[in-house]
Amino acid sequence: MPQTFVDLDVRPILRGGGEPFEKIMQTVDALAPDEGLRLYATFKPVPLFQVLGRKGFAHEAREIEGGDWEVLFRRAEAPVEGEASAAAEAPDTDDWPEPAQQMDNRDLEPPEPMVRILAALETMESGDVLQALLCREPMFLFPELAKRGHAWQGGFEPDGTTYKILVRVGEGQKPAA
Amino acid sequence: MGVTLSRWTMSYFAAALLSLILGECLMTAGYGFPSAPIRAPQTLVLVHLIAIGWLSLLLCGALFQFVPVLIARPLHSNSLPLPTLVLLVAGLAALLSGFLQLSGTIDVGAWPFPLAAGLLASGFALALYNLGRTLWQARPLPLPARFVAVALLCLAATVALGATFSLVFAGPVHSEALLAITAGGLPLHVLAGLGGWLTFAAMGVSYRLLAMFMLAPELEGARPRAVFWLGTGALAVVILGGVAQILRDVTILPALCVGALLGFAALALYGADIFYLYRARKRRIIELNSQMAALALISLAAAVALIVVLIATNRLSDQIGAVVFLAAFGWLTGLGLAKLYKIVAFLTWLECYGPVLGKTATPRVQDLVIEGRARPWFLLYFLSVWGATAALLFAHATAFRMANGVMLVATLAIAVQLLRTRLLSDLTAEVPLPDGAHRPHLLVSLPNST
Repeated sequence: MPQTFVDLDVRPILRGGGEPFEKIMQTVDALAPDEGLRLYATFKPVPLFQVLGRKGFAHEAREIEGGDWEVLFRRAEAPVEGEASAAAEAPDTDDWPEPAQQMDNRDLEPPEPMVRILAALETMESGDVLQALLCREPMFLFPELAKRGHAWQGGFEPDGTTYKILVRVGEGQKPAA
Repeated sequence: MGVTLSRWTMSYFAAALLSLILGECLMTAGYGFPSAPIRAPQTLVLVHLIAIGWLSLLLCGALFQFVPVLIARPLHSNSLPLPTLVLLVAGLAALLSGFLQLSGTIDVGAWPFPLAAGLLASGFALALYNLGRTLWQARPLPLPARFVAVALLCLAATVALGATFSLVFAGPVHSEALLAITAGGLPLHVLAGLGGWLTFAAMGVSYRLLAMFMLAPELEGARPRAVFWLGTGALAVVILGGVAQILRDVTILPALCVGALLGFAALALYGADIFYLYRARKRRIIELNSQMAALALISLAAAVALIVVLIATNRLSDQIGAVVFLAAFGWLTGLGLAKLYKIVAFLTWLECYGPVLGKTATPRVQDLVIEGRARPWFLLYFLSVWGATAALLFAHATAFRMANGVMLVATLAIAVQLLRTRLLSDLTAEVPLPDGAHRPHLLVSLPNST
C-alpha cells in the first residue's frame, strides 16, 4: 500500500466551470508505483471511482468542510469493482452485470440528471451498467440513449416517487479520456 | 419510447407572440373595448386575436411538446401540427375578416364567417384528434393530464358554440335551437374558452411544471383531485347545464351560479395547492420563470377576488371587461410569457447540445438566458396589466391606452429576450459550437431521435 499521496485540488477548476478530468488523468499517469492520489473536489466524483478502479485504484471518499469531498485513491492488488447494488432488478436485466456506477439524481433540477447520466456513461465501457435514481421518468433522456446505442430499463420504485433506471453501455464504446 | 422535440412548437410560439403584439398595438391605438362597446365587432376582433391567435396557439404548441411528457408516451403524430397551424391561422384570418365586415371596415362578401367556422373547426379538430389519440393510449391518466383532457373537451365545446354563432351570423341557419344558442350562448362560449380550455389546461400543466422547476413534490393527493372534480363539475354545469337551459328557453343564471360556486371552491383549493408547492420546494432560489409565474397566479387570485366583490356590489355585468382583461393578460398571458422564457431556453438547449451531452463541455440551460435583463421587463409587464385593469375599473380610456402602450413595450422586450435565447445570442462565453451540436432553426425543431 502506498504511504505517500500526491495532492490534487480540482475545486478551483470546477468552480470556474471547467472540466478537470484530463488534469486528473495526467496526474494519475505521472504517479510513482508507491504513490496514491489525494483529490479534492466540490462533489463526490463517482464517475472517477470506476475509471480509476480499472486502473487498479481503490477509493476512500469523505465529505469535508463546506460540502466538498476528499478522496484517497490507493493502488490495490486487483482492479476494484464499483459499489454493488442490492436492489432487485427488472426481469429482463437478469443477465446484466451489477451496476458499475450508481448515482442519486433525485435532488437535481432538470435537465441536470440527464446531463450527469450521459456524462457518466461516456466514462464507462461497453457492457457496464449505470444505475441512477430520479424523481421522474426521464422522457428526454430516452431518445438520446437510443441514439447512442445504450440499452435501458427503468420504472418507479414501490414508493411511487423514485424512478430507478439501469443503463447498459452499448457495444463499441471506449471510455472517454 | 421517450419524447422527442415537437417539430413545429416554435412556429406556434412565433405566431402566438405576433398575435399578442398585434393585439396590444390595437389596444394601445384605442381599438375596441373600452373605446367601443364590449360586444362591438371591433372588440371581437381583439378578443379573438388574443384568445385564438395568442393563447390558443401558445397552448397548442406547448401541449404538442408537453402532453407526451405528462403521460410518458410519444405524440400520436409529429407531422399533423403543421397543417393544424395553417388551418388555425387561416381560420383566424377569416374570422377577423368577418368581424371587420360586421364593423363596416371592409366589404368582402358573405364568405368570411362560414369559412372561418370550417377552417377553425378543422384546425382544432386536428389538434383534438392528435392530442386525444395521444392521451387515449395512456389511460389511466395521471392527474395533470386529466386536466388537459377536460380542457380539450371544453375546447371542443367552445369551437362548437363559436361555429354555431358564425353560421348564424352568416345567415343561412334557420334552426330555432341554433338561433336560441346564438342569442343566449355568449357567456357559455366565453366561460368554456377562457375557463375550461385555457385556464383548466394551464392549471393542470402548472401542477407539473412548478413541481419540476422548483423541485417540489408532485401533488397527487386528495386536494388536487378535489380541484379536478370540482372544476370539471363547474364546467359541466355551466356548459351542459347552460345549453340545456337555453334550449328549454329559461334563464341560464342558475347554471352560472352553481358553476361559480363549484369553480370558486376549485380555485380556492388550487390556490392552496400552489401555495404549498412554493413553500415545499427544495430549491430555495427559484428561477425567473417561477418567480413570474407567482405574479400570474396572484393575478388569477385577484381576478377571482374581483369577481366576488363585483357580484357582492351587483356590478359584475358592468365590469366584466376588467375581469376578462385581468384573467387574459395577468393570469394566462403572464403565465404564458413566464413559462415561455423557460421552455424556449430548454428546448433550444436540448436541440442544440443534446447530441453532445456528456461527450464535451456544454453550457447549462441557464447560460442561454440573462435573467437580470429580462426581470425588469416582466415586472413592467405585470405592473402595466394591473394598471390597465384599474383604468378599466375606473372607466379611464386614456389611462387604459397608456398602460397598454407600456404592456406593448414590455412584451416586445420579452419577445426580444426569447429571440436572443433561440438564436444563442446570450451565451455568456463566446464559445464555438462543439462538433456534433447544431444551431437550432428559429421556427422548426429537428426531432432529436434516430
